[in-house]
Amino acid sequence: MPRIPTRLIVKAYQNNPLLPLLLRECRSLDSARNELRWLHERALHIARQRAISGRSGGNYPVVGWRGLFRSMCLARSKGVPLQYILGDQPFGDLDIKCVRGVLIPRHETEAITFHAAELILDILSKNNWMDRPKAATLRIMDLCTGTGCIPLLLHALLSPHVLRLSVVGVDISPTAIRLAKENTKRNVRLGVLSERALSEVSFQRGNMLEFNHDGFPTMEGLFPRIPGLATSPEPRCDILISNPPYISPREYYHGTTARSVRIFEPKLALVPPVNLSPSMVQYRNIRREDLFYHHIAALIPRLQVKLAVLECGSHSQAIRVAAMCKDVLGKCNSTGSILVDIWSVTGYDGHPYAVLVRSR
Amino acid sequence: MLSIPWVCSRCLARSARSVRNLRLFYQRRGLQTESDLSPALLERACSLAAEHATLSDRLSTLFDPKTAKRAGEIGPVVKALEDWNNANKSISELNSLLVDPDAETELRTLAIEELESTQVALATVSDNLKRSLVPRHPFADLPCLVEIRPGAGGDEAGLFAFELLKMYITLCVRRGFRSAVIKRELGDGAEDRLSEAVLEIEAEGAYDLLRTESGVHRVQRVPATETKGRTHTSAVSIMVLPSFPDTGSAADSAHNFDDPSSDYYIDPQEVRIEKMRAGGAGGQHVNKTESAIRLTHVPTNTVVSMQDSRSQHANRKKAWQILRAKLAEARQEAREKELVELRRGAMGGIARMGRGDKVRTYNYGQSRCTDHRSGLTVHNLDDVLEGGESLETIMGSVRSWLTDRDILAITSTASEKRV
Repeated sequence: MPRIPTRLIVKAYQNNPLLPLLLRECRSLDSARNELRWLHERALHIARQRAISGRSGGNYPVVGWRGLFRSMCLARSKGVPLQYILGDQPFGDLDIKCVRGVLIPRHETEAITFHAAELILDILSKNNWMDRPKAATLRIMDLCTGTGCIPLLLHALLSPHVLRLSVVGVDISPTAIRLAKENTKRNVRLGVLSERALSEVSFQRGNMLEFNHDGFPTMEGLFPRIPGLATSPEPRCDILISNPPYISPREYYHGTTARSVRIFEPKLALVPPVNLSPSMVQYRNIRREDLFYHHIAALIPRLQVKLAVLECGSHSQAIRVAAMCKDVLGKCNSTGSILVDIWSVTGYDGHPYAVLVRSR
Repeated sequence: MLSIPWVCSRCLARSARSVRNLRLFYQRRGLQTESDLSPALLERACSLAAEHATLSDRLSTLFDPKTAKRAGEIGPVVKALEDWNNANKSISELNSLLVDPDAETELRTLAIEELESTQVALATVSDNLKRSLVPRHPFADLPCLVEIRPGAGGDEAGLFAFELLKMYITLCVRRGFRSAVIKRELGDGAEDRLSEAVLEIEAEGAYDLLRTESGVHRVQRVPATETKGRTHTSAVSIMVLPSFPDTGSAADSAHNFDDPSSDYYIDPQEVRIEKMRAGGAGGQHVNKTESAIRLTHVPTNTVVSMQDSRSQHANRKKAWQILRAKLAEARQEAREKELVELRRGAMGGIARMGRGDKVRTYNYGQSRCTDHRSGLTVHNLDDVLEGGESLETIMGSVRSWLTDRDILAITSTASEKRV
């Protein structure tokens, strides 16, 4: 990382004495200024809330915000993510609460979720979903859901167009499941999510890396618990979306992963674990960062998924994942034609990449 | 026992002046329109009345929202024309009474009195008719965005831009409009120095109210940054843009920007979207808080950047809103300019007042605010800067000036057509 020029530090100090603290993490004056403004607004807000709750009503002077503001800036200078300090992150129109131990939603995931919603609406209009009898429930599953941002945003985007939805988010971490449930209530309370979300969005704990004897992920125990899936004899799901851990151990320790991310965000959500499952023997050449995609690809034909959207870390990974999906789906060959596609858009930081799998 | 041992004579003079200035003092220098209607205008009014009659006929059998809207638009013209006809008829009757040799003298004096009052009424009635003939601005019903940028004058211009932003916010508060600053960029290391701001006013018809404000506002004062006490002149440019509603709510209106056939459609292919910083790895590798977005409309080279919100999605939405507003305003202006070019010969040198021209001067030394279009001067600068009644007086005078100008334009084009 290049050193920050002294000139820049002096300039920042003249601007605001707390600005050099933020410069350590932000590396540029513009973004440091923005963060300072957001922290300032939040510190004032918190102090005001305290003043209101402490003394009943009235317009009391706001006290103690300076100390709070300063401690926030100090925390930020040590690399604590801004979202953990502020406690939330906007995601689409939603406001997602963030706590330590759960991955913070990224801009890329936001872009991919918006695109997925467009694709889903496109498929629905092509298949005349709206004209079907009322029994038709659109079933969506999000694997490795974390804060629950993807299921919630999809529900917010689709609920005006689809009468019945069943969205389920699966994650291995109990902290994440708790947070995701809290986020549902929070956004309904804020009025950005419809009341339907309380009954239509659910979160389940599950490990998708466990295998049964068939070589499929054991999510058997999970299916009966999911309202939309339990009704049919065969577990089915229309849409599968996922942002699984995709960082290789090498990139994590010596490469591109930022220090702040390594220290403060859970490794569980970033790097796939070493997998010693016997069924993996036949896939010896699989890379560790692609582990989750392999499992998801196996689920696609099993659940008769119409559309799968898988977020990937880089273009090369997206190419690998696309090839893997073709391979796995070709072997199963249960359904007719399968379309594997790589989607990306310029104009976002770091160019989001997603592998789209469509079957008809 | 005086608690203040010594008072500077200047301070006394200043307080005396502020008391004196509470009285508003207006000077009016406006465009004079002819008091009688030109035959061309009258013809236009009559044709509109005929159209209204057919429209209301059609409406009585079948309701159609489009027809109803058009009829509602023409309604005021028909009413004004009726009034004008009535006034004219009564004048001619009274005249015939005066000419009549058999009439009694008492009746004659009454008739003379009546005639005088009717003639006064006729002037206002014909004025009303003229005003109703001016077509409404296509964006008149829309909410608006006010873009404030300091121009020549460096720091001082930035300071004054901040004051103008406050002025419009307080105006909105006083009128009960909901307003939000959607973009605020401060100058280097200062809390009260703008480098750019966009104020959104979410009230229907706010564009019509504020469109008088577009242009360069000039300030003449001794700046806070000045050490030698010299008066500086700086400029702040203000642009009032229409704010288009979201797609869903306005599918039927003419302002539907998603429809490729619409005048205000922007091809997304022509817009370049940029992140502000070239990044290395993204996604899970880093946790970026930067959410800045820059949109460039390539054919016109219009650039909008947005970084105020923490959400990239929200920034993108706002940037698109501003870009759409800018392009729509530019297209509308181009169309108006074309019309002006057509009219120029007939209008005898009345040029369009674009945003390049200075429209208003705020002079602190004389505590005066002058609008150069309507020629109105208000000697109560404090009230103007607080967004008070005086500001609205000025805005009102400019609006009537705009209407007068439109009337002149209509008259000249209409008479040209006849020739």
